[in-house]
Amino acid sequence: MTLASTPAGRVQRHKLVDRAYHWLMAAAVLILLVTAFLPILGLKFEWVGIHWVTGLVLTVLVLFHIIRACFFQNFWAMMIDGTDLKAPFAKPGKYDLAQKLYHLAISVLVLSVIATGLLMWRKVDTPFWQRDPYWLSTESWGLVYAVHGLVAMALVTMIIIHVYFALRPDEWHLTRSMLKGWITSKEYQDHHDPRRWQAKDEA
Amino acid sequence: MSLFRYASSIYGGNDTLIGANYGLLPWFALAGVAFAIAHAIFKAVAAPGKPG
Repeated sequence: MTLASTPAGRVQRHKLVDRAYHWLMAAAVLILLVTAFLPILGLKFEWVGIHWVTGLVLTVLVLFHIIRACFFQNFWAMMIDGTDLKAPFAKPGKYDLAQKLYHLAISVLVLSVIATGLLMWRKVDTPFWQRDPYWLSTESWGLVYAVHGLVAMALVTMIIIHVYFALRPDEWHLTRSMLKGWITSKEYQDHHDPRRWQAKDEA
Repeated sequence: MSLFRYASSIYGGNDTLIGANYGLLPWFALAGVAFAIAHAIFKAVAAPGKPG
């Protein structure tokens, strides 16, 4: 679909499946943070079951996203390229340098929290196994817990920054695209370099 | 304030790392808010009206 042929001058930015992934991941991360930190802040409830099940959901979602990004999307659209570094403030392709850096940071954090969370799963009774607190040494468990906790707190910082940008009026077209899937042709022309993001290829 | 929490070993010797220091949570949240405020001020003062 070319720009000229898009209905009502709209350019598809995110397909429904990718928007669903984004919002499901957001819900999973928020549930994980709430179930992790509310008990620490003094609100006691049975959080462990909700936490590990939601962590498993997040793991499946991220695996889905990795497969989709590698085989069904333009993987390189999110990778930092030479043009980003040579002209960081020039009109970007689908994503600008700041968005790519944010994605890189959030990827490292989420993969770290998932990896450590999966290890910590061994210390929880599940329908699949009984907990084994001696699976790792005390020192190793300490490291796993430390990384998991620090990364979880860093995710709080990152989410606040993410929500801030989503609420900025000059970024509303991107927020709308994550809700409805599209930006207008004018927004496409104003904010993107068509040579770096050929929207007809991404739709 | 330490990044980590430690427990004293009942056998003596070095303290054992047991996790992150969750007392830092407000500071991590404050860092996000501080970034947002700093960016908003920068955009309002240094680049008013410029998109992005």
